[in-house]
Order: sequence, then C-alpha cells, then structure tokens
Amino acid sequence: MNTDHRPRPGEANRPHGLITRRRALALFTLPLAGMVTPPAKAKPLRIVCLDDGLAETLLMLGVTPIAVADRAVWEKWVVEPSLPPEVADIGTILEPNLEFLQQLRPDIILSIPFLDGIRPLLERVAPVTTIGIYTPDGQPYQRAVEATRQLARLVGKESEGEALIAATAAHFSTIKQQLEPLSARPVYVLSFLDPRNVRVYGEKSLFQAVFDRIGIRNAWTGETNYWGFATVGIDGLATSYDARLAYLEPLPEGATGTLTESPVWNAMPFVRNRSIMRLPAVLMFGTLPSARRFARLLARALMAETARG
Amino acid sequence: MAEQQAILPDDASLMRGQSSPSRMPDKYPLGAMLLCVVLVCAASAATLSNMSVQLPAARWPDALANPDVEDIRQVLVHYAFLPRLAVSLLCGAALGLAGAVLQQVLRNPLASPETVGVSAGAYLALALATLLAPSLLAHGREWVALAGAFTALAAVLALSWHKGLSPLSVVLAGLVVSLYAGAIGAALVVLRHEWLASLFLWGAGSLGQQDWSATLWLLPRLGGAALAIGLMVRPLTLLGLDDEGARSLGVPLGVYRFAGLAAAVALIAFVVAAVGVIGFVGLAAATLARIGGARRLGQQLVMAPLIGAALLWAADQGVQVATGPQGDLLPTGAMTALLGAPLLLWLLPRLALGTEAPALTVERLPRTTRPGLVLAAIAGVLLLMLVLALLYAPGPDGWTFASSDQLQPLLSWRLPRVSAALAAGAMLALAGLMMQRLTGNPMASPEVLGISAGAALGMMVALFGLADASRPVQTVAATIGAFAALLVTLAIGRRAAYAPERLLLAGVALTALFDALILVLTATGDPRAMLLLNWLTGSTYGIDAGSALLTSTTAFCLFLATPLFMRWLDMLPLGSAALQSLGVNLKATRLLVLLMVAALTAASTLVVGPLTFIGLMAPHLARRLGLSRALPQAIGAVLAGALIMVCADWIGRTAIFPRQIPAGLVATLIGGPVLMWLLRRR
Repeated sequence: MNTDHRPRPGEANRPHGLITRRRALALFTLPLAGMVTPPAKAKPLRIVCLDDGLAETLLMLGVTPIAVADRAVWEKWVVEPSLPPEVADIGTILEPNLEFLQQLRPDIILSIPFLDGIRPLLERVAPVTTIGIYTPDGQPYQRAVEATRQLARLVGKESEGEALIAATAAHFSTIKQQLEPLSARPVYVLSFLDPRNVRVYGEKSLFQAVFDRIGIRNAWTGETNYWGFATVGIDGLATSYDARLAYLEPLPEGATGTLTESPVWNAMPFVRNRSIMRLPAVLMFGTLPSARRFARLLARALMAETARG
Repeated sequence: MAEQQAILPDDASLMRGQSSPSRMPDKYPLGAMLLCVVLVCAASAATLSNMSVQLPAARWPDALANPDVEDIRQVLVHYAFLPRLAVSLLCGAALGLAGAVLQQVLRNPLASPETVGVSAGAYLALALATLLAPSLLAHGREWVALAGAFTALAAVLALSWHKGLSPLSVVLAGLVVSLYAGAIGAALVVLRHEWLASLFLWGAGSLGQQDWSATLWLLPRLGGAALAIGLMVRPLTLLGLDDEGARSLGVPLGVYRFAGLAAAVALIAFVVAAVGVIGFVGLAAATLARIGGARRLGQQLVMAPLIGAALLWAADQGVQVATGPQGDLLPTGAMTALLGAPLLLWLLPRLALGTEAPALTVERLPRTTRPGLVLAAIAGVLLLMLVLALLYAPGPDGWTFASSDQLQPLLSWRLPRVSAALAAGAMLALAGLMMQRLTGNPMASPEVLGISAGAALGMMVALFGLADASRPVQTVAATIGAFAALLVTLAIGRRAAYAPERLLLAGVALTALFDALILVLTATGDPRAMLLLNWLTGSTYGIDAGSALLTSTTAFCLFLATPLFMRWLDMLPLGSAALQSLGVNLKATRLLVLLMVAALTAASTLVVGPLTFIGLMAPHLARRLGLSRALPQAIGAVLAGALIMVCADWIGRTAIFPRQIPAGLVATLIGGPVLMWLLRRR
C-alpha cells in the first residue's frame, strides 16, 4: 500500500492511466494516511520548487515552498498568488545554486522536464520529482489538473487539491455564462516581443484550454510550438476581421509608443474597431491558478471593452 | 572560370600595389552584370509571387498609390511589403558598397562589415544601450551604432597594426573582436533573459517593416555616405597603390584612408541601427563584383552595391516564399549568413592572400634570465587562488571560509568545478600557444579554428534533434561535432598543405555558419535555445566528479605528449623556408600539431564553452613575463591559463550569489581588456 506521501523520482513520467488507478487506491487509504504518517503533519515538508507554475499551485494548496528560482521573475510575470517574503531565491532556473540548495536541506525538489539536464545534480541534494505540464502532447490543462492532484498528495492536502480543481472548473462555468453574449467574436491573446513581433498563444497553450472552457474562440488557429505559442509579426494577425485582441503585460521598452504611430497597426481590424484590451501579467506557462487568473482578467477586460464600445 | 582565374591574381597584385589602374582599356564587368540580371530576375519572380499571394493583381495599382484603409491586404502591401522591399534594396546596396570600400582602403580582399568586426560592434552598442541606458537611444540610434562600430574598428586596427594591417591579421582581429562582442551580448541575454527573444529577432536582421519610416530614415543617411564615397573615387583608387607610389603623387594618404573607412563604417552602422546584422552580404557583393570582372575601383563601386541590393532582395523574397509573406520567423540576416559562410569557404582557396611573416621572434619583448623563478611565482599565485576558490564563498549567512563540518559537502560541489576549470584553462592555453607558434600570428587561438563551433553544433543537434538530450548524450554529440569540424577544417587545409592562415579562415567561416544557425534557432523563441546559450557562455555548473575526472585525465595524458612537440614549437616561428632548409617535414609537423590542438580544444570546449579567449591570452601573458623559449613559455601559459580559469570560475560563483555568471564568460570579460593591454604597441 502506498502510504508514503513522497512520490518517487520519475513518477510524473509514467502514463496517465496509472495515476487514476493510484488515485483510486489513494482514496481508499485516505482515512489511514493521517494515522500512518503523523510526522508529515507535525513537520511540514521542506519543498524547493524550480517551476513557477508548480509553485503557484503549492501556494494555492496552502503550502509555502522554502525556495524558488528567480524571485524577480515572479514579481513581474506571475504576480498572483503573491510569494511570501520568507521564500528564498536560489538563483536562475537553469542554474539553481547547488551549494545554497544543499544548505537549505530540502526534503524534496520539484522540477520540470525542461530541467532534466541538471536532474542528476539536483538528486545529490534531495529526491527530485519531475512534473511536466508543457509536453509534446499539448494538454497543459489536463496535466495541470493531474499535477494538482499529485502535489496535493505529496503535501497531504488531497481535499484542498480537489477543491482547487473544482473551484477552477466552477469559476470557468460562471465566466462562461457571463461571457455568453460576447462569445461570437474570436480573441487573440499575445505578448509583445518588440513593436513589430508578438508571441501569439494558440493550440497547446494554457490560454487555449481556458478559451475552450469559457466558450471563447481563439482567433489564432495557426501552428504553435509545444509551449503553445507562435512568434509572428503583428501583420500576421490581420487574418481575422472581427477579432478582439488582448495583450499581456509586462511590455518591452517602447512597444506601445511606436505602435500607435504605425499605419499597419492602425489599419488592423481590431485597432479600427477599438477592440484592444491590456491585461495584467499572467504566467503563460502556468497551472490552474494562472488559468483561473487569466479567465477572470479576460472576462473583466471583455466586459469593460463591451461597455465602452 | 577562366575569367575568374585571370582576375584574382590581378587583384592580388593590385593589393601589393604592383599594377597601375590605367593599364587596361575599360572593359565592362560582364560577369557581374550577368549575375545582377539573374538575381534581379529571380528576385522579381519571387516578389510577384509573394505579392499575388497577398493581393490579387487587379488591386496592385490601388495598393501602390493610394491604399484603401478598409482593405487590410492593401494596407499590408503598401505599408509592410513594399517598405520591406525598399529596405532590403537599400541595405543590400549599402553593405555592398561598404564592402567594396573596406576592401579597397584596407587592401584586403576579405574585408567586409562582418570580417572586420564593425557589424558586431554596432550591434553590441545598440544592445547595451537598449538594456542599460535606453535614454541614449532617444538621441538617435545611429549615434550609438556609430560609436560601437568605430570602437570595434579601432580595436581591430590596433590589434593588427604591428602586422602592418596585413589582410589575414585584420580579419583575425576582426573575428576576435566580433567574438568578444558576441560574448558580451550573450552575457546580457543570460543575465536578463526575459527580453531575449526581441533582442534576438532584431539582432538576427529581420527586415520586417510596418511603415515607410525606416526607408525614409535610411535614404538620406545612406545617400550622404554614398555621395561622400563617390566624391573620393580618385583618391580611393590611389589607395590601392602602395604607400610610396601614392605619396609620390601628392595624395594625403592618411586623410583619405580615414575618410573612406569612416564612410564605409557609417554605412554599416546605419544598416545595423535600422535592421540589425545582415550577415555576409557585404563580403559576397564585393567579392562577386571582383570575380565578375569589375577591375577598376569605379566599376567595383557601382557593381558591388548593385549585386548587394539584388542579393539581399532575392534572399529576402526567398525567405518570404518559404515562410509566407511578412514572415519574421526566419530572419533574413541570419539566412544570408548561412549562405555566406559556404561562400567564404569556397572563396578561400581561390584568393591570393600572400603569406604571413612570422612575428613572435621579431617582437622585442623582455627575456628573463631566470625562467624558473617566474614559473614558481605563477605557480604560487595559482596555489593561493585554488585555496580561495575551494574554501571561500558566500552562503546563506554571508561570506565564509568552509569549516570542518561543512567542508565535505561544499567540496563535493566545488572540487569538480574547480578542477575541471583548471584542466580546461590549462589545455586551452597550450592549444593557443601551439596555434600562435604554428601560425606566427599573435591573434591565432583555438577559438578561431572552428572546432569550438563544431562542438557547439553537436550540442545543438542533440538538444533539438534527439528526444533524450541528457548530459552524457550532449557530451558525446559535442565531441562528434568537434571532430567533424576538425575534419572539415583539415580537408580544406590539406589543399594548402595545412598553411595556417587558410585553416584559420576556414575556422572563421565555420564559426560564422554556426553563429547564424544559433541566431535562427533563438529567433524562433524556443526555450531550448536558452539551454544552448547557457552552455555557450561556458558554465562549469553541470560538472560532476565523473566529468571533472575525465577532463583532468585527458589533460594529463595530453600534457604527457607535449614534450615531443617542443622542438618543433621552438622552430616553427622561424618560418617555412628556414624549416625546410633544416630538413623538417613541414606538412607532417603541421598536421600533428593541429591534431594536438584539436584534441586539447575539444576536451576543454566541452567544459567551458567555445568563447573563453584563454588560448589567446595565456601565451601572451607568459611571453610578456619574459618566457621566450617554447618549453618555459608553454609551462607559463599552462599555469596562467589554469589560474585565469580558476579565478573566473570563483568570481562567477560568488559575484552575484546565489546567481552565477558562467566561468567562460567571466574569463572573456576579464580577458578582453587584458589582451588589449598585452598587445598594445609601445
């Protein structure tokens, strides 16, 4: 019986089928779990989380990791949920400081497949659990739900995990109802790289999953990479005539200033319809909390835009 | 072909100042004109096809003259497609003209915006200003770009001055300056990677436009510089003569040489400020104009811009055929570099470049009578540095000396990194020493042999092509890449009996090819490009005990073989004629030394990345300390290389704790200024 809360390294890489089966088993052992492993409750796991997406899910489950990579990135690109000040910064995501990491004495390190190259190094410090959200099969939402359950099991907060999943789904259906009257026109979601080029999010992105669940059509139907975006010039966005456009903060230096002067930009259907929305930063490579934040911000912006015009 | 062979020796003699410009009656450069016509036809066909994809031909007149703002297709043709076309023509012409002028003024058939480092300098200045002082750009991007371009050119000329600005030394110095600028650029990206993508799109020479502003910005500036060149045709022609001949005609050489350079550099800086680095169009245009029969400078100054414009036009339309109209994903500038590098490789055996005079023996440098003492001093400093690097670093509680209970775990992290850095630095230093003695060129180093680029290329294939790209797989791929590049370089070199100059230039071309590939990959915004970049900057982060042991053992074995080379290394700087008279088999000797250099470079590149400059610096350091004979200089260089690398690793681990700066990058940043200082001319 698997009563140990710590997942084994490599667990995330197993096929999905197992996870549901294990979940079923976990449900049976749930009443036992509390009794068999009391130390887990008495002394919380010391978790180092190298991925912001996994970290935001942990925070929503009520667990604070002892350290994350690149705090500065969090303040600028994730924003919500806010990161408690006691969470340490262990350097960049590609090269977390190993000496520092060891001195923090973590019980477990949460990583993503992107960092498999440094996994052997991390394993010398503590057991590593790799959880992939953005993978070639392009199901980030499904994977985020599974990751939520996996993390919840890890920290012994299964009910909070199920609650987060349910609340996110419920949030989407509420928003879907609110946006029903606005669902006719498709929406582009993008980040500016410079005044001329954007990352537009489509298939395989978290935002696409949100679109599908709140009943909005994505105006970008072209190809995307497995992180769910395509890099295009803004004139590549002229294919849809009735689309709205939502762009995410933060903006690179000078993107908006030059844009307003450009005739191509000004001839874009969404500019002439004044259907442009500026959204605060949302982690584009995030998990359920980011999906929820995106749905909320987009709904608010859509309704404000409709009220305006 | 026959014509081409007739032309090139002529160029070479022009370079050496043995021909007179009015020797032959004017003959039209038929080959160049034909090439132009072919390129224009191809480009026009592609343009028409690209335009008809966007807009039915019936609407073209409207779109050209007076676009209907209701019809986005017309707007796109008028404000995106046509300006892009105009910009491609303008930039191509400017680069071609700049290439022709540079080749004339520097009397160097290989001079071009890329090979003399001017493009890289302008680009770096703009990148620095964008990230660190955006307010500077408000005064005009061109001033920032100009400042960068002139700084780079000044550095290149200063570095090759004592070799009499010979073609190869200028190009080598240009390459080194470009690499250095690239390393700083990489540092910016690694430290501030959020905006990585935009910087790269632009740096890669994306020609995309969304109004006519860039065209209107470029027109007067490029026109002014071109006019200045047009007014100088006569004096510039005389610059092709040797200095005495020109001076006897009463031409103030220095003034015109500077004015010509300034005009060419301005052209390049404007282009970089507008669209980024467009690789190799300048070199290709100027060279093709010569090969195509443009003998006189006047003809070259007409044909090179025409070919340049047609080339870039055709390339850009070709890119749009491939990616769809307005495609930015395949930056045109990187694509031209991809095409340009093979061109350079093809050109190499066909150019008469003259041979380099050995320099190391000529320089009057201090000579110590007690090399043992000097070596002991360097070794002492190295020991001190090792203690510092292993024990003293910041932790959660600030700076501490590792004490008893923490010593074991901390050393388990630090020892592999420090020993790998030490071994890599030592190997690079030895490889550099061998290259410099072999070529007689103080700017030679393993970085420019193309081996590092090959290793990086192998990494790239592993990261992007294989599903499982774990560290051992990456290492194997990099090793294969390094030796593949070596084989290519040697295959090219075999034709020239391993003449070192040719090998270096082949390395230059391979490196440029590789840079272009990296640009294309990073411009797609794929996060895996970050992994590659991280390794490129020479991080010792991922080194574990196993790979440290492997590196150290390799280094040890290679050092054991070194004494066998010492006699040759003492003799090589004497020059090939002297060696042959001494009965040395020149070809075999060169091949063996090269193999040794390749092994040393491949083993160290895997650890500290391709861009350290240790191979360049350490031998000079040893030489300036008075170690003149091969063996003491080799030991001194090895110690110095190890010292610099250990020091760089320590600084990289501690300076911005808990973040880290890759050791290779720190070595580069320290090494650049040190090198300039070492090579300064009294």
